[in-house]
Amino acid sequence: MKNSDPIHSSGDFFELLKRSGYNSQSAISALPENKALEIPQGTTVLAFHYKDGIIVAGDRRATAGNAIMYERCDKVIPIDDYSLMAIAGVPATAFEMARILSHNFEYYRRSQLRNMSTEGKVRALSRLLKDNVAMAMQGVGAVSPLFAIYDIQQGKPFLYFYDMLGAEFQILTHVATGSGSPMIRGVMEHENLWGSCPLEERSQEQAMSLAIRLLQTAAQFDSATGQARPEDKLYPIIAKITKDGYQFISDDEMEDIYKASMKRN
Amino acid sequence: MFEEHFRWMEAISTRHSYVREKLGKGQPVIGVPYNEGAVILGFSPQPGKIFEIYDRIALGGLGHPADVERLRMTLLDMAHVEGFNRSAQDVTIARLLQFGLAPALKQNFEEIQRAPYLIQMLLTEINREGEAEFFRVNYDGYWETFKKGTVIAGDSKVCERIQKKIDNTDFASLSLDKALQSALRLWEEGRKKVESEKDAESSSDDDDQDGEESEKLPATLKEAFDRWNLEAAVLSRNTQRKCLYRLLTEQEISTLESAVTQ
Repeated sequence: MKNSDPIHSSGDFFELLKRSGYNSQSAISALPENKALEIPQGTTVLAFHYKDGIIVAGDRRATAGNAIMYERCDKVIPIDDYSLMAIAGVPATAFEMARILSHNFEYYRRSQLRNMSTEGKVRALSRLLKDNVAMAMQGVGAVSPLFAIYDIQQGKPFLYFYDMLGAEFQILTHVATGSGSPMIRGVMEHENLWGSCPLEERSQEQAMSLAIRLLQTAAQFDSATGQARPEDKLYPIIAKITKDGYQFISDDEMEDIYKASMKRN
Repeated sequence: MFEEHFRWMEAISTRHSYVREKLGKGQPVIGVPYNEGAVILGFSPQPGKIFEIYDRIALGGLGHPADVERLRMTLLDMAHVEGFNRSAQDVTIARLLQFGLAPALKQNFEEIQRAPYLIQMLLTEINREGEAEFFRVNYDGYWETFKKGTVIAGDSKVCERIQKKIDNTDFASLSLDKALQSALRLWEEGRKKVESEKDAESSSDDDDQDGEESEKLPATLKEAFDRWNLEAAVLSRNTQRKCLYRLLTEQEISTLESAVTQ
């Protein structure tokens, strides 16, 4: 830190990481292609607009091929006060992306003395995914995340779905990703069109109940999606994002909501 | 030129007086605890006095704005790279100073061919036990720690005076409102001290230019609020967020203003 050194004040954390010698591709890009390599993946995460904002939910199972590796995986990750990321795909890459993203937003906010725009945040994740294409193509680092954010200036929430190459798609109603998602996409569409009321008009209680039921349905048909196990206090993870920021539903609250949701209306 | 020892000593001492003179007009930044964490505040003609460094770390600076900015960026870079590579818990002021900033500042100060940093910094942090800690960093890399709060000011007499008051006040038991008000009173006392000294000087020497210049600076809290911005931030334990830093809102500042200027 000599005072003749140039000041890097673009507020770009990626650039700072590169300057400090970090390489996201590291040695893994030198790996030979290996289809037999088993890496934990397979999941169901979903998100939809409801009355106050967006509900983001996910199951807790991490698998490697047929093996269940872990039952308490948190697949919905807070990025900053007003954004959440839900991950499907290779956990190592996904968690790393979440960490980079989180630091990226905070570093920008602190250095530039203003919040990064919603569009900037949405694109930051896209950029990470694009940087990761090589690993995704080798079959060792594919991630397809959901990103939910509340824009305070505009006073409304935004929901995005990404493919593993980094394309971003804004979602106005509902979205699901992961191996269990095909089982429930139709259910979500059906609920939205012909359920008691459209998803975006549902109350928090109704929205959470739907999220739990959807995950339970996905788990019924997809072995890589974990079921809730109330006897072990193991519940899906559910978070909401509203004008007050994100909030996770605690296990104690989940217990009641889960019980109520498992009954027929 | 600097081969002889005393030449080097002389150069360093000239450098000290040069920097001190440059910093002389720097307005104080006061950092004190309160019952929910720490508060840091200062008046400034332009925005750019109080900053957030990391989840639990705040910075107050005085001196040349470009130097404040450079050191702020250095701290931000170090804190974020460390927080990313290890964890947020490993980012502490003590580590940032001891292994990063202080040696660099000292080296820069002693490389007499290079322009010195014109800066003083006050850093505050809520440690993992929930206690507020305060650090004062000098332009030459010398740093001290304080439990009961501290102050930086261009004028070392003002600094000593306010520091003495801080040491004798139990800020940690005060509510936020009371702590802010008391801290502002200390600022005012610091100003009064300067003004009374200036008066004494100018009565003995009417042509003193410094005296004329200082008349332009606000002497009371009312004048300061009228002409400058008060920047104030808290690190509050009482939050669900992982970032404890929060700038005071305009509403809070104006409430504070009416409380201390009436």
